[in-house]
Amino acid sequence: MKRYIITTGTVTYAIKGRDLLRKKGYKVKIERITSGKGAKGCGYGIILDGDMGDAENILRTAGVKILEINEK
Amino acid sequence: MIYLDNAATTGKKPLTVIKAVDTALREYCANPGRSGHQLSLKTAAAVYVVREKIADFFGASGAENVVFTLNCTHSINCVIKGILKPGDHAVTSSLEHNSVMRPLVKSGADYDIARVSLTDDGETLREFEKRIRTDTKLVICTGASNVLGKTLPIRQIGKLCKERGVPFAVDAAQTAGVFPINMKEDGIDYLCIAPHKGLYAPMGIGVLICERPLENTLIEGGTGTNSIELFQPEYLPERLESGTINVPEIMGLAAGLDYVKGLGLKKIYTHELELCRLLYGELSKIERVKLYTPEPTFGMYAPLVSFNIYGKLSGEVARYLSDKGIAVRAGLHCAPSAHRQIGTLEAGTVRVAAATFNTPNEIKTLVRVLKNAEFI
Repeated sequence: MKRYIITTGTVTYAIKGRDLLRKKGYKVKIERITSGKGAKGCGYGIILDGDMGDAENILRTAGVKILEINEK
Repeated sequence: MIYLDNAATTGKKPLTVIKAVDTALREYCANPGRSGHQLSLKTAAAVYVVREKIADFFGASGAENVVFTLNCTHSINCVIKGILKPGDHAVTSSLEHNSVMRPLVKSGADYDIARVSLTDDGETLREFEKRIRTDTKLVICTGASNVLGKTLPIRQIGKLCKERGVPFAVDAAQTAGVFPINMKEDGIDYLCIAPHKGLYAPMGIGVLICERPLENTLIEGGTGTNSIELFQPEYLPERLESGTINVPEIMGLAAGLDYVKGLGLKKIYTHELELCRLLYGELSKIERVKLYTPEPTFGMYAPLVSFNIYGKLSGEVARYLSDKGIAVRAGLHCAPSAHRQIGTLEAGTVRVAAATFNTPNEIKTLVRVLKNAEFI
């Protein structure tokens, strides 16, 4: 199964994004990110298990600021 | 004690608020937005739920726009100093608290004052219309005077600001939790809230809701994110929330908000205004009492009454009442502008402000005690 890390930078956007994606049936959780270009030091990411599908569009439409999306 | 100083802070917090603070200290004692362990994430999620509740209650466009501050004054400072630079132009009202006036002066901006009519909102609106210029950078005013209770026509001022393309900030210290506020419908860009008043939260927590970004920050520091960068992150709420946030009081605030929602704004306001109308009616029968507004009417006045006894300083009257077990506030209430308008800069006023827990009997007791005073 594929796994993606959607780096949002802030915990507030990570929670907002997680809640949005959960409502749409995605399997998601939040993780602290302590390295990586997107987070620029520290940040939070949404871990998505499965296909990305429309997830990025859902998040961006809701105003969630995405710094980076990587396949783990 | 009969507590009638609720415009300063509501004197009795619901048990649910006290329990929420206690629970937070026991079960959410981790730093949200800093770590990745379960308790930190659980606390961050609980804080997020409170942001959502607040955004929903005040008609904001998203939970991320809800910023936790130290108090309403801190929120107002964030807005004024986040927007205005020396030489910029702003408009405010004649009834402002020093929480607006002092940062406005400190900002170095030029400002014009729109005089608030105590009887005619149309006249107040025309005052704002006259003073907003093409180069005005901010209109900021109170939702209701903390001295006189007079409400300002916020929705009409918001509409005017939208037409003129000027950011609009509201000091809702006396109106949040008493009057309906919907930022979208009222055209408010920045809402500054004192949760320990009308939302029955503990003291030491404030809220700022931003529907627009702020160029400058009041403080900078750790946000738990983008740590390599030596500049503040651009994103709200973290941009304005450097340092650890006050989780126990945020939880208490959520319980206070639930309390207010449970009672309903209409019921709260009707109850409190009726108490003020009862007081006003009784005071107006006492010859030596001076009142400063027309009788408070629905929608036009927040639930508070200011008065004086001829020949007495307001502090002397408040001290007498305190000795009899009645808590009111005297003096200028940190709002000299309002006193300048009604001519009470020297004497101040005695202010009585009602809350949900006050009763008609308490008002009658206050009146009886006053009538029994030697100086009446």
